[in-house]
Amino acid sequence: MFIKIRRDTLIILLLAFMLIFSGRVMTYMSYASSTDVGNQGVEISGIIVHGNDIVPLDSIKASLNNVGFRSGSYIQGDTLVTSKRMVPLNEALSNAQQAVMETTIPGTTITPITAASVQLDNQTGVLTVNIVESFSNIHIEGQGINGTY
Amino acid sequence: MKRVNLMRFVLFLITFTMVVNTASATMNVVVITDPTGKDPNGVAAGSQSWQNNMFQSTFILSMTKHFCVLSGGEGNATPRLAAIVSALNVMENGGTPAQAATVANGFSQIRVMVGSATEGAAVGGYFDADVVIVSANGTITITPYNGGLATLPAGDKGAIIHLLNTQGNPQYGTADAVRLQTAEMMGEMIRDGYPATAVLAAAFNNVATNAGEKHGGGGLNLVSELTTGDMFTPPELNTTGFNMNDPYEKVSPNGWSVGFPEADNYQTSPIDDTNLTTVYAYQALQSAITVTQNSTIVYTYGTEAPGIAETTSEIVQASVEKYGYSSTSIATSINKGIGSGLLVGVNYVEPMDINVNQNQRAIGVYYTPLQGNKSAPAWKLPISSSILSDLGNIQTAIGLILVILVLFRSTLISSFLKRK
Repeated sequence: MFIKIRRDTLIILLLAFMLIFSGRVMTYMSYASSTDVGNQGVEISGIIVHGNDIVPLDSIKASLNNVGFRSGSYIQGDTLVTSKRMVPLNEALSNAQQAVMETTIPGTTITPITAASVQLDNQTGVLTVNIVESFSNIHIEGQGINGTY
Repeated sequence: MKRVNLMRFVLFLITFTMVVNTASATMNVVVITDPTGKDPNGVAAGSQSWQNNMFQSTFILSMTKHFCVLSGGEGNATPRLAAIVSALNVMENGGTPAQAATVANGFSQIRVMVGSATEGAAVGGYFDADVVIVSANGTITITPYNGGLATLPAGDKGAIIHLLNTQGNPQYGTADAVRLQTAEMMGEMIRDGYPATAVLAAAFNNVATNAGEKHGGGGLNLVSELTTGDMFTPPELNTTGFNMNDPYEKVSPNGWSVGFPEADNYQTSPIDDTNLTTVYAYQALQSAITVTQNSTIVYTYGTEAPGIAETTSEIVQASVEKYGYSSTSIATSINKGIGSGLLVGVNYVEPMDINVNQNQRAIGVYYTPLQGNKSAPAWKLPISSSILSDLGNIQTAIGLILVILVLFRSTLISSFLKRK
C-alpha cells in the first residue's frame, strides 16, 4: 500500500463521509419540500378565460400576450417584467383588460366583448380573465372591404 | 335621335351591371344527421369560397349555445358585419335559426345561414339554396329556394346548401348543377347513416372539385363545439385560404406528420421509416371536427409549458379507456404521471380541477404551475424545510471538519513516526 491507514482513521473518514452525504441529502430534501418562491419573482404561467362564446380563445390569448402576459414574463413585487419592458402591475392589468375588450372576431372589426375582469394569482402566476360578450349594442363603423363574400 | 337613345340605354345597362354584380360567392352548408343533439358528430357546418378573405367570421361558432352563423353576400363588408351581429344577437337571446336568418333580409345583398344543434337550420337574405330533408323512412326531398327565407325544421334530418359561383372562377357556371349534385349526395349519405362531419367533408370535396369554390373557410362541429379555426383561413387580408381539395399534410401510422409544402421532401417518416399517407384538406377538416368513439378531447388550462397539453391528453385518454369518465380516477392517473416525472412543472391536481363532459367526450384539466423553476411538486415531510436545511448544513460542516482533522492527524502521526 502507498499510504498506511490505521483502522480507526478509516472509521472516522467513513463517518465523515456519511455525515456529509446525509447532510447534503437533507439540504436537498429541504429544497424539495419548501414551498417558498425565492426572489426570482412569479412567472406568468398560464391564462384561463371564462365566458367567451363567439370570440375564439386563441384571439384572446394573443391579445393578452401582446400586452406582456406571456410565458417568460414574471412579476417582481408590484412590477410586471417582460422581455421588452417593466410595467407597474396595476397598469399592466388595466392594459390587459383594455386589450381583451378590443379583441375582435377574426377577420372583422366586431368587438363583442363588453366587459372584462382580469385577475392575477400572485402565488401561481395564473391570469384569470372573465368576459361578457354582447351583440345587442355594437357600432360598426368605417368602410369595409368591397367585394363578394 | 334613336341612336343616341340606344347609346344611353346601353350605357345605363353597363353602369347597372357594374353596380349590381350578378354573381355571389361562398358555399355555406349546414348538415344535421341527429336533430336531438345527442350524437357528438350529429350537426356540422362550414363555409368555403373562391374569394379572398374567408376568415373565421364567415363560419362563426358559439361555444356555449351550440349554434353557428355562416355568412356571405356581396357589396360592402360593413352591412354583412351588421347582419352577422344582428343574427348573433337574436341567437344569443334565445331566438330560433329562422328568426336569426330572417335578419339578413333587412340588408342589401347579404346572406346569413344559421344552424343549431337542436333547433334546425335556416338561411335568409340573398341566396340560391337547396334544402335536403331525409325522412325517417329514407325518402330524400330536395327543395330549391331562391332568396327570402328557407328553413330546415327542428327535428328533421337533412341539410341546407347554398352555392353560387364567384366571378373569376374558371369553373364559373357550374354552381346550379353542382349544388343539386351535392344535395343529392348529402341526402344519400345522411340516409345511409354517415355522421354529419363526414357528410360535410364530402360536400366540401365535391364543391371544391366540381364547382371550384374551394378556398377555406373551414368547418364546425356544433354539438361538440369544435372548429377548424385558422387551419384553412387566409394568412392575411386580401388573400385566399387553403384549397380544400389539395393535399394538406402527410402522416405516418404512428402519428408523425408534416404539412405541405415541406411534405414534398418526405417520402417516409424520419422516425421509423414507415410510409406516409397524404391527407387532403377536406379529410383534415373532417378529422379536426370529428369526435371518434374512443377519442377524448382534452383541454389543458393554467399552463402554457410545452408538452404538458399533449402528455395530459394521452394520460387522460388512457385513464378514460380503463376507468371511464370519473374525475377521481382521472385525477389519480394525472397525479401518477406527475409523481413519475411524466408531467413536469405542475402541482398535483384534485378531482375538482377536472371538468368532465361525458356527452361530448371532452375533459378540461386545470393545472397549478410550480414556481421557482421547480420540476416536481413539494414533498410533504413531517419536519419543516428550514429545520432540515439547518440540520443538513450543520452535518455537512461537521463532516468536513472531521475529514480535515483526520487528514491532519494522519500527517501528524506519520511525521511523528518518521521522527522516531
